[in-house]
Amino acid sequence: MNSRSRNMWAYFMVAPTLIGTLVFWSWPAFYSIYLGFLKSENFGLVNHWVGFDNYQKLFKDEEFWQNLKNTLKYMVLFVPSTIVLSTFFAVLLNAKIKGQSAYRVIFFLPQVTMPAAAAMVWVVLFAQDYGLLNHVLGTRVSWLSDPRFAMYSVVLVGVWAAIGFNMLLILAGLQGIPKTLYEAAEIDGAVRFNKFRYITLPLLTPTLFFTTVVLMIGASQIFDSIYLLIGKTNVALPSVRSLVYAYYQNSFVYYDQNYGAVIVNILLFINLILTGLQFLFQKKWVVYD
Amino acid sequence: MWHKSKKSTFLLVAILAFTMIMTACSGNEKNNGNQAGESASNEQSSQPAGEQPAKEVTLSYTIWDMIQQPAMEAIAKEFTEQHPNIKVKVEVIPWGDYWTKMSAAAPAGTLPDVFWMHGGQFIKYATGGFLEPITDKVQAGIIDLNNYASNLGSIYTLDGQNYGVPKDFDTIGLAYNKELFDQAGVPYPDDTWDYNKLAEVAKKLSHPDKGIYGFAAKLDTQVGYWNDMLANGGYILNEDMSKSGYDDPASIEALKFRYQMVLDKASPTHQQLTDTDSTEMFKSGKLAMIFEGSWRNVDIDSSEIIHGKWNWAPLPKGKVKRGNIINGLGNTMSAAGKNKQEAGLFLEFLGSKRAAEITAEMGAAIPAFKDTQAAWVKSKPDLNLQVFIDQASDAVPYPSGSKSYPVWFAKESEIMSQAWGGAISIEEGAKKVAEMMNQAIAETK
Repeated sequence: MNSRSRNMWAYFMVAPTLIGTLVFWSWPAFYSIYLGFLKSENFGLVNHWVGFDNYQKLFKDEEFWQNLKNTLKYMVLFVPSTIVLSTFFAVLLNAKIKGQSAYRVIFFLPQVTMPAAAAMVWVVLFAQDYGLLNHVLGTRVSWLSDPRFAMYSVVLVGVWAAIGFNMLLILAGLQGIPKTLYEAAEIDGAVRFNKFRYITLPLLTPTLFFTTVVLMIGASQIFDSIYLLIGKTNVALPSVRSLVYAYYQNSFVYYDQNYGAVIVNILLFINLILTGLQFLFQKKWVVYD
Repeated sequence: MWHKSKKSTFLLVAILAFTMIMTACSGNEKNNGNQAGESASNEQSSQPAGEQPAKEVTLSYTIWDMIQQPAMEAIAKEFTEQHPNIKVKVEVIPWGDYWTKMSAAAPAGTLPDVFWMHGGQFIKYATGGFLEPITDKVQAGIIDLNNYASNLGSIYTLDGQNYGVPKDFDTIGLAYNKELFDQAGVPYPDDTWDYNKLAEVAKKLSHPDKGIYGFAAKLDTQVGYWNDMLANGGYILNEDMSKSGYDDPASIEALKFRYQMVLDKASPTHQQLTDTDSTEMFKSGKLAMIFEGSWRNVDIDSSEIIHGKWNWAPLPKGKVKRGNIINGLGNTMSAAGKNKQEAGLFLEFLGSKRAAEITAEMGAAIPAFKDTQAAWVKSKPDLNLQVFIDQASDAVPYPSGSKSYPVWFAKESEIMSQAWGGAISIEEGAKKVAEMMNQAIAETK
């Protein structure tokens, strides 16, 4: 077989994934950019070109800036706590303890639970009158409808759901660290914390970098837990509404796909910049061997 | 050489086949989309039902109320007995997702063959050409719109074309928990009640420490403050639907009156009512009184806690009159359906007296067909369902029927929830809603 036909086969093999990505990811992304310049009528069958009108409207919209702030706040709260807790539990579960697999299953459970079902359980736990949380704490806080607490409640559920999977990724990273390094450190008399600080952490940085990038993109697209936990008639909605939630509202509730499109286009732009910056600065802290 | 060419041929064929599948798909979609724009009613009249060989057809019938599913299935079953070649599959999409799904299905040409229509959404779908006109059937007398009560036949008409067959109507009533009234020694609500009496009794029956409240003064439109606003002499939209009535002083006064009941602890707070639906609270015996629509009757009565211990009364009178909203649902068919002739037959049956009787006897909803309402009233003999029929004559039609309705209606609850949650004042909220509504009306002109 010559190289040309071998390439053909390679393309053929990746075609299902490639076509899927192009059709379901790339095409909608480009189409969203196009939609942002239009004013659509009649379910998008009639379109008028309006240039940057939608963007002008967006930048004048106070609600948009609040939503942007909420999204960034969620990212700032969610990403570091998930990384720290996932690493913490991964290191614990990497040690030889009794019932290790049982613990791994328990921590991974949220990942295999249906998010909608899990959210419904959280709604009950958070309930003001009969909720378990208020019962245990002896308080009467409305965790999900008080603007002061709602964001933290959403972050809590988000972190709870994210730990399992990220812990698994980090655990895989931990097990890739050669045992000989620890043995050498022990011979040199290193204590446990120093082993973590000077061996585990540096060699874990590639994994941590990957999880940070993925978590940040995921966090910026937060929607489902707000939709399920907060709901649309909640007085706290303005203080937790994310950009994607605003996109959903404008596109599918108010039927203004064009305004919805400019919101996600801004989000795409932000994510491109954030990811670009992370790749730029990774040299400073990520260790590849 | 042979080896290689065989492989590339295979590859070529595979890619070709794949491309064909892809283009076939998109081609189909386009066709359906175009069809939606044109009316294809002549196809129907040219082929009378009897002459066609009966082909096996399954129609999709989509509704949004799970409680009415058994009744709709009973109607479909009886229709299939008359037309053995046509089967009907009843599908439920909950109200919260219904219009989102329909607005995606409409341009894609995948609307269900027959589906429930709401007055607020009708104009959008009719002007877009997504609904099949039934004008021919109406003119031929196959469907007689005079058969339906309270002028309901006119709701689904646009520019002289008929699109919908009236299905049912609904009005609002005051549901009360007899047990809580008995315990406090207060007489049950009746048609002499006014809003002051409602507030007074609500306060008397409330025991916040026990989690029991007199009334649910919740943020809601059709089963909430719209009735209050009308009773107090305010309005939701003016006659020609060009201006919001939310900033009318009488409307604001009515809104404030309702909110005062929350402040007086005669009602659960907005937060509590966000956490738990007020009707669910009523069903579990925690609320003495709620406003609720006739469509929730079966649902409330199915609660074992409250069964036999509750009843309906008319809404209280306001300063000016007794407010009430009447809304009529319709059945419509898709213009892009593949089996429009069969769908038309099913639509005829849905508008028939027999279908109305099934709806009434199963207690699903108040049928729109004249003189079939009594059967609905009798569907639950121990409940005073007559209040819904009696209030229909004075009730104001649901303020839909404009292109701007879906836009302002969706935004209304978000603004009002800020007021109900205490973030802004009621007056500020009402004025914001009025401003938003007027803007939506201007933009969709």
